[in-house]
Amino acid sequence: MTASPDALDPAAGAAPFEAAFRYEAELADPVRPDLAETHRRAWARLAAAGTWWTGEERIAIAAESRAAVDCAYCRERKTALSPNAVDGRHDHVSGSVLPEAAVDAVHRIITDATRLTQSWVEGLAAQGVPDTHYVELLSVVVSVRSIDMFHRAMGLACEPLPSEPRRDTRPSMKRPPSAVGGEAWVAMLPSRKPPGENADLFPGPAPFVIRAMSLVPDAVRWLKELSQAHYLGMDNGEMFDFVNGKGPLSRAQTELVAGRVSAVNECFY
Amino acid sequence: MLRASIESEGGEDDLRSLTDGAAAADSTVRGATTLVPFVEATLRGDPTEIAKARDRVRDDLGSASLVDAAAVIGNFERMVRIADSTGIPLDTPVNVATSAIRGELGIDGFEAAARTKPARTWQRALGRVIDPIAMTALKWRAKRGAKSSD
Repeated sequence: MTASPDALDPAAGAAPFEAAFRYEAELADPVRPDLAETHRRAWARLAAAGTWWTGEERIAIAAESRAAVDCAYCRERKTALSPNAVDGRHDHVSGSVLPEAAVDAVHRIITDATRLTQSWVEGLAAQGVPDTHYVELLSVVVSVRSIDMFHRAMGLACEPLPSEPRRDTRPSMKRPPSAVGGEAWVAMLPSRKPPGENADLFPGPAPFVIRAMSLVPDAVRWLKELSQAHYLGMDNGEMFDFVNGKGPLSRAQTELVAGRVSAVNECFY
Repeated sequence: MLRASIESEGGEDDLRSLTDGAAAADSTVRGATTLVPFVEATLRGDPTEIAKARDRVRDDLGSASLVDAAAVIGNFERMVRIADSTGIPLDTPVNVATSAIRGELGIDGFEAAARTKPARTWQRALGRVIDPIAMTALKWRAKRGAKSSD
């Protein structure tokens, strides 16, 4: 039987990862159960086919996102005046599973994201990575990165990636017909409640950062799930509570951490 | 968001610690002097430095706060890359409302700032008028939220 990831029951999907993210065995610090559960579900999503990439390809994207951290070519390019000024080859780990341009995209998103350009993103299509695939690739990269950075901050080794993709799933290849270009480098859903099966994505006018990956609606769902566990819920009113954070941190402490991460990354948004 | 949350708690906003870690000492946010170095150490990636910074946050704010801070770091390592990789501009209301403070903090000098058109003169003027009203509304909303959670 083949299932679209849209139809995956996250709880059932997470079952093979029951032994993963067992923080209580490694940390004396109390990790909220919802955090560990969200990470297990993320691994389930990772191993399943997405909208455009297979489970095998998604795991390969995740593996490349980790390899980028120690990639010599990325290091050299990062210090160059322009990323295009340096020729070389990434220290890549995924064999021939991904197109070369996808490997390059993963490495650049991890190590040099502030110097990405619209023309580079648009040029990926001719190299086998159309906008839909790029957006899904981005969602995999940033999801794994966020979990890996939590581990780094807590002094934990990275969780091993899923050893096997879910072969009972295949990409659904559904591009939302209402996605339009012109506001950013990739097409997005308009800023109003999306119609039909994507009505759950945002209830009304949504900021760019929530719509950014809406060309692949499941990427937004994954984003919201991780945000709910790592920071604040995106559509349950928590964002409008300017006093309380998720747990014992106040909202001001939460925003100080958030803002400093953004500034060190030189993120304008 | 930081400014709104500081003001909601009745503090004075000193946002310099966002772009200058050394300014954490002057921040009115409790624990800023341990949280900011924890962020910086984690992003630099040296395990020994991170461990020391982690111990300081734990001593200062407790274990549960440490875990939440680590989760927030993870969250924004994700969000910054989404913004940088899709080329989204700042939303207009945020662009207008934060125009002055971005200039003061040097954020307008970031490479990605070029993706957002600067707020127009009339928008900046409107922003100055609306800003105190918006902050009052946020504080009112925060107080209402605090009362309803009592």
